[in-house]
Amino acid sequence: MAWAVKFEDVSKRYRRRDARYASLRDDLALIGQRAASFLRRTPVEPKGMFALDRVSFEVGKGEAFAIIGPNGAGKTTALKLLTRISYPTRGRIRVRGRVGALIEVGSGIHPELTGRENIWLYGRIMGMSRQDIARRFDEIVDFSELSLALDTPVKTYSSGMQLRLGFSIASHLDPDIFVVDEALAGGDAGFQVKCVDRMMHLVREGRTLLFVSHNLSAVESLCRRGLFLCAGRISAEGDTKDVLREYLRWTEQQAVERWRARPASENSAALLEIVAVSCHGIDGQERFEFTADDPLEIRVRFRAKEPIRGPHINIGITDGRPGLLIHCSTLLRGASPKQVMSEWTAACRIEKLNLMPRVYRIWCDVYGEHGHGLLCDWQEVAMFRIVATDGESPENGKMAITGGALGAAMRSNYQWLHTID
Amino acid sequence: MAQAMVEMVIEGGHRPALAQGLRELWAFREVIWAFAERDTRLKYKQAALGVVWAIIQPLAFLAIFFIVFGRVARVSGGSVSYPAFALAALVPWFFMQTAVSFGAQALLMDSALVRKVYFPREAPVLGAVLSSGLDFAIGLGLLLVLGPFLGTRLSWTVLFAVPLWLILAVIASGTAMTLAALNVYYRDFRYALPLILQLWMFASPVAYPLSAVPGKWKAAYILANPLTGILDGFQRALAQGRPPDLHLIAISAAAACLIAWGGYWVFKRMEPGFAEVI
Repeated sequence: MAWAVKFEDVSKRYRRRDARYASLRDDLALIGQRAASFLRRTPVEPKGMFALDRVSFEVGKGEAFAIIGPNGAGKTTALKLLTRISYPTRGRIRVRGRVGALIEVGSGIHPELTGRENIWLYGRIMGMSRQDIARRFDEIVDFSELSLALDTPVKTYSSGMQLRLGFSIASHLDPDIFVVDEALAGGDAGFQVKCVDRMMHLVREGRTLLFVSHNLSAVESLCRRGLFLCAGRISAEGDTKDVLREYLRWTEQQAVERWRARPASENSAALLEIVAVSCHGIDGQERFEFTADDPLEIRVRFRAKEPIRGPHINIGITDGRPGLLIHCSTLLRGASPKQVMSEWTAACRIEKLNLMPRVYRIWCDVYGEHGHGLLCDWQEVAMFRIVATDGESPENGKMAITGGALGAAMRSNYQWLHTID
Repeated sequence: MAQAMVEMVIEGGHRPALAQGLRELWAFREVIWAFAERDTRLKYKQAALGVVWAIIQPLAFLAIFFIVFGRVARVSGGSVSYPAFALAALVPWFFMQTAVSFGAQALLMDSALVRKVYFPREAPVLGAVLSSGLDFAIGLGLLLVLGPFLGTRLSWTVLFAVPLWLILAVIASGTAMTLAALNVYYRDFRYALPLILQLWMFASPVAYPLSAVPGKWKAAYILANPLTGILDGFQRALAQGRPPDLHLIAISAAAACLIAWGGYWVFKRMEPGFAEVI
């Protein structure tokens, strides 16, 4: 397949500076240093970090290609190099055809000018000819749904309206290669649907799409191929499903590592503190990985400064998103200890978790007798992972990857039955 | 789509060649107009008096010059009255001043665009210079209408205003490009610029005639300040009704080319970092 975009060993290093704006004084000092080291024949080590480090990939003509990765991985840098907003430090980028970018376009709109004037102005700045704009003017206005506000200054628009105007201009540029970088965040739901439709339409027309997004289900439904960037290097490249699987695995691993490397909490002023929390299997051994059918015993070791009557313990399990999936409370089941002093261990045993494979976090807090007065703050105390059992086959329908990792957390057994009359 | 695909190669580490930059600029010339048009519209919209400022500025300076130089210091306007002589130089000088100060700020004003959208970075700077051309046209109109009352000798030599303005615009563009690029990296220039322009005005034959410069300094004065020949030319052509001194114009034109080339060179050298630093 013919390529439309080709990165050949591309590196990008940003200059590091102490202040955001250098003053002339600093740079004159730097020139002095350079001259001195040149005279002494000691080379100056270039400063700064690599945002992209020897990255090579190809995007085929007419292909929808995704770039995913954590914040600061170099995704936006790659797009900025491609759109010639900034320049590579090393390597070569080849581009066949006209590039149109949708990088937070709303911010370039001029507030004093009217919507109409902005369409004429930004259409031309982005490379449209007057004839192009005249021909597509109505289309742009229709798409932006701003026909009533067209002759009022943009400063009276809401930020959503400005975004719509920006996207409408940029998406009617007729580029051969279309670059989208999180441009959709901010519009209302209806407009976002319209934007995705517009992108689909452009892809169907045979335009090449480069899509950078944290919306993984949009990536999975829109793109066939992609790459996973991490710290300026390519971690995975190929079929979107494989790349997404690799990215999700990495994200989970990162969460676990961050949790393990957390600093020990110092909360000695509290009346009650949590000393240690551990997860145990049926055999009483401490474990990190469980299957959905395993029982899980959570043991929390507390230390009390003074005797406490009837403390109520809450244990919650989440998958990192808001809301509890499982809540175990001594208030609900009436199983709080009569009185505790110094150190004691509370163990809570869950017979069957029935959770989908991924990483889960355990939260805990303690209230006083009858559930009044917080003794110990709600805090994340432990983490465990549910792994698939050997017999389980992974789902393989549309959006299976992001669905499996980001969809519902509870596992149920179900079958589909279709009755067609 | 049976459309010929142009392949674009972006090489890392290399500075883009100047000739290639010029070709690109020509291909995007529409963008320069877009910026010029926007700047002009904004000038009309944002200030209540709008374009009237283009008249007020030179007239206010004319009044001050008339009192200070014409009456107190008794500077001679040569063969014409002092106000006629001073206005003929003030109008082109104000074009120079607006073009350079707006051009130097152009990239900073459009920093959001520079960070997000590709276009040749020269475009907003040149657009600002171009939109100052409207101020000049208005000032020229003022000079033609008001001049005869002040004592200018109108003749066919007014036509020299066009080539003289072109040379002036080249000088303004080169200067604005240098300052615009430096402004992105060093905000110091924002504070230095008004001072530089003020000094430059008094170092140019605006308030006084070139003939007032002592003979032994004259050569250095002409060579050091490329505006000398142009402003002197304006005074001759618009106030005194004489053709400009072609030797002086030739020196100014040569200097203009040098300034434009140097400004473009500095600009291109600093351009790759604009989006990151601005």
